Amino acid sequence: MSRSRFRLRSGGDAVNVPRGEGAIRMFHVSKSYLAGSFALRDVSIELAKGEFVFLTGPSGAGKTSLLKLIFGAERPSEGQIVVLGRNIARLGRSAVPPLRRKIGVVFQDFKLLPRRTVEENVALALQVTGTPPRETRARVFAILKQLGLQHRRYHHPLSLSGGEQQRVAIARALVNEPQILLADEPTGNLDPELTVEIMDLIASAALRGTTVVVATHELEIVRRYGKRAVRLENGRIVEDTKPSFPRT
Amino acid sequence: MTSGIAVVTIGVTLVLAGGFALLLRNMEELLDHFGDDLRVTAYLESEVSGEALRALKDRVLAIPGVEDVESLSQDEALERFRASVGSGSALLDGLDINPLPASLEISLSDDRRSAEGMEAVANVIEGLAGVESLSSGRDWVEGYLRAVALVRSVGVGLGIILALATLLIVSNTIRLGIFARRDELEILSLVGASRPFVQMPFLLEGVIQGAVGGAIALGLLYALFRFALPGFEFGLELLVGTAPRFFSSGEALILVAGGAGLGLFGSAAALSGGWRS
Repeated sequence: MSRSRFRLRSGGDAVNVPRGEGAIRMFHVSKSYLAGSFALRDVSIELAKGEFVFLTGPSGAGKTSLLKLIFGAERPSEGQIVVLGRNIARLGRSAVPPLRRKIGVVFQDFKLLPRRTVEENVALALQVTGTPPRETRARVFAILKQLGLQHRRYHHPLSLSGGEQQRVAIARALVNEPQILLADEPTGNLDPELTVEIMDLIASAALRGTTVVVATHELEIVRRYGKRAVRLENGRIVEDTKPSFPRT
Repeated sequence: MTSGIAVVTIGVTLVLAGGFALLLRNMEELLDHFGDDLRVTAYLESEVSGEALRALKDRVLAIPGVEDVESLSQDEALERFRASVGSGSALLDGLDINPLPASLEISLSDDRRSAEGMEAVANVIEGLAGVESLSSGRDWVEGYLRAVALVRSVGVGLGIILALATLLIVSNTIRLGIFARRDELEILSLVGASRPFVQMPFLLEGVIQGAVGGAIALGLLYALFRFALPGFEFGLELLVGTAPRFFSSGEALILVAGGAGLGLFGSAAALSGGWRS
């Protein structure tokens, strides 16, 4: 890595990181919550725009920590991480919300508001951006229809099945047409049939140009889609396999 | 439940602070009212009468701060006394001589209706030939002003302590609210809600709770004023010649706005320590 490839910009932009067009770029990133104990250690990785990548590894390998770094919930202890051209390590507090509006996140436990309807839960992602109510309603209806949930829009999350709740979470993550979609064990609470359904929805986002990162410990899913898989163990990348033909 | 605690806390604080403000306001108004009647009376030596009395009156009138002078001869003083004691005046019939001195009743201009102003005028009058002694409401005014200052100090001190305690309670109440809604806040933060977007509902909640507390305090004070005071009102009016007054609409608005302000600051304090992006 030569110095000539480095660029220097002010604000939350990239500083001392190589040039590149990747959606997510990490350079020697370490994350430590306790002194001497690392959740991530010297992780360097580049994810291109529109790429679909699995993060695999056992529980505690650092998959969730890596995702948290990408959406700015955590700051790296060491190294640089550039997401959509913004250096997370140097990002001001006020710059975090605008970045998050370009990143959709899906969790294993769905993280839906139980007292709000499906429509309201999905609309939340647009309301925070100041989208006019009429446009919000139209876009929410469109994404719910796309995910086969339009008939459930006035229901509350707890009255839905697990698969439906996760589809609502995906709808909320995608309604903003994010540039990055992060999913942390999105099928962890679902049975195998629903797992395929949910993963197909997530994979379809990559076809539209969204960079998709799915953290999972289910190797069956990884094999099924034949995409790039980055394996973490004890906070380090131990394997980075290139895409292969999906299993039929 | 927690909102109710904040509303009641703000209400209690404002009832106490407002009560003191009301007391202070009426005490100050009473002083203004008395100011109209505040006079210096110069009792004259017995040989001052006729031409000498008129000359003295003119000299007093020329003193800066003196607005008007009314002279009272010995006979007029006796007549006035006789009238004031009513049926007891028969006792005065046995008097061979008139024991009452002639006097000058001196009204002061508005700017001298204070303990200091009175003293300045009285000092000049006291030095005039023919003036035997002076009587003024100076001591009373001084005492009254001290009482007003005491009520003001106690009110301000108590107000500050109560306001700080209220801020603490309100901020903790709002913090409990934040804790109860932490899942919602986490989700809002995840979808990219800005800090003002997340904080605004809590700040509004604080303002509304504070304003409701202020309105309740205003209502309670008014109820006390209307229903508890009439028992004393007649006596007060007889004693001081003026009926106590409640807050004007502008002052009432200030009380409610004060509650809203307490709520707002309480929420802001809670948010500064209770929520992180």
